[in-house]
Order: sequence, then C-alpha cells, then structure tokens
Amino acid sequence: MASTVIGAGITIEGEVSADDEIVVQGTIRGKLDAREGVTVEAGGVVEADIVSGPLSVAGHITGNITSSDKVELQAGARVVGNVKATRITIADGAQFKGNVDMDV
Amino acid sequence: MALLTVIGRGVRIRGRVTGEADLTIEGHIEGEVAVSGDVTIESGGLVGANVSGRVIVVRGAVRGDLEAEDLVRLEEGARVVGDIRAPRIAIAKGGLVRGHVQTGGSSSGRPATASRAKVEAPAVRRAPVAPPRQAPAPVSAPAPRAAPVPAPLVAKSAVSAPRAVAAAAPAHAVSKGPPPPVVPALKKGAKAALKKKAQ
Repeated sequence: MASTVIGAGITIEGEVSADDEIVVQGTIRGKLDAREGVTVEAGGVVEADIVSGPLSVAGHITGNITSSDKVELQAGARVVGNVKATRITIADGAQFKGNVDMDV
Repeated sequence: MALLTVIGRGVRIRGRVTGEADLTIEGHIEGEVAVSGDVTIESGGLVGANVSGRVIVVRGAVRGDLEAEDLVRLEEGARVVGDIRAPRIAIAKGGLVRGHVQTGGSSSGRPATASRAKVEAPAVRRAPVAPPRQAPAPVSAPAPRAAPVPAPLVAKSAVSAPRAVAAAAPAHAVSKGPPPPVVPALKKGAKAALKKKAQ
C-alpha cells in the first residue's frame, strides 16, 4: 500500500509534491508532482496539472498530465486535459477529452 | 468507509488541507490544516501553520496554533511553537511548547470576567464615598481598602479628605461611568491656608 493516501472527504488546495506514491480518494486542487506514481481512485478528484511516474485513473482529472511512464484510464475515469506519456491505455467506459502526446 | 488519510514521509504540501476525515501527517505541510476528524502529526511530520481538528496528537513539529474541539495531546518528541487551545490538553514528558496554552471551552472567558470584576468593584465602593461631600471623615474609611496607592502630592497637605479622594481617583478612572468630581472636598479657605503655609 502506498504510504500516502488522500482519503475521501479531504481536500487539499495547493501544491503537492511527493517522493513516494500517492493514492487520491479525495480532492486535490492546484498542482501535483509525484515521481513514484499517482493513483486516482473512483471518487477521487484532481483539478491540477500532474507530473508523475505511472498514473492510474478511475476518478476525475481536470488538468494536463505529464507522465514519465504509463497512463492508464480505467472504466469510469473522466479526464479533461492533455496527456503526455510514453504509454497510454484507455479502457472501455473511460471518458477522455484532450490531446495525447506520446514520445516516439 | 475508511476515511483514512495519510500524508507520507516524502510528501510536501504547500497549501490548505481541509475536510471531514482523520488525518495522519508524516510529511511536511506548509499551510493550514483544518479537518473535523482527528489529526495525528507523527515524528518527522511538520506543519507550518495552524492546525484544527477534533483530537490533535503531536509527535512531530508544528509552527502554528493548535485548536482542538476535544483534546490536544503532545507526546514525546513533539515541538510546538504556537498557541494551544482545547477543552483538554495533555503534554507528555519530552514535549516542547512555546506559546500560550489554554484549556476550557470559552476562549476569552477568563480574562474578560477578570477585568469586569475589576471594573465593578470600585463602582460598588464609590457609592458610599460620593454622597457625604460635607463630612470628609467617613470618606477616609473605605479609601485605604480601595487602593493602597502611594500617596500623591495632594496628600502632603495632611488633611484626610484630599487623600481619600486622591486615592479613589485612579479606581474611578477604570470604570466607564461619568467621572466623579476630582475637586477635593475642602473647606472654604483651606486652599489659601495651605498656600500660605507653604510660603
């Protein structure tokens, strides 16, 4: 389990930077920088630009995503923003609006 | 539903953290923390602003005020620079605090009642003092009890009446009512007599 969990019912307004993985079940507004990876679970809301390692989304993200690894939009995910990543998967049932930029 | 939130060791947050859940802080938060659940600041955790919650347990560092609805507990290794306010406060051995610590529900209750008592007290005493303008003798009786003020210059006259009035004057200044007559109740011609004596 990740050492950092932003639980449901918690709202962070500001800049979050982390050296370890972050699991978001609550809300983050501002900026999110997590080198080790981010998981936005169902019910989690991120209204922020994200710079991360691997990113897995089942919740809502509004903002640009820059990942050094894989971005995974799971069913039920809702992402509005541009995605820049090395790999990306969009599951059936995921909503996505934005540009995809993959390094080739 | 497990509403558990952990801010891990490698995490820095610059901004506000709010919500209705319990919060465990092992990382750094440079901003206000206001939750309705319990807040635990573990050793190594740091909060650089005010913290409010139901129960606040500190093993790390806080630079800001702590305000809990129920309890603040500082455990060994806690370092708090700021005021603490809660109905119940526990500071364990090894907990460091620099700031104002206040237990009890109402925040400003005690200082307010204290000052009010100070104001009321002279008002009650003044009642017997004011009326007997012509007879200065009874006036001197309550005065020494009222305020053991170092006798001001007027007291040099060695007349008991002016001394009583002078002593009472600073007490009146505290009350909010109309100021009492400052003129000492001297007999006609007493002032002239004093002046003559001085010469």
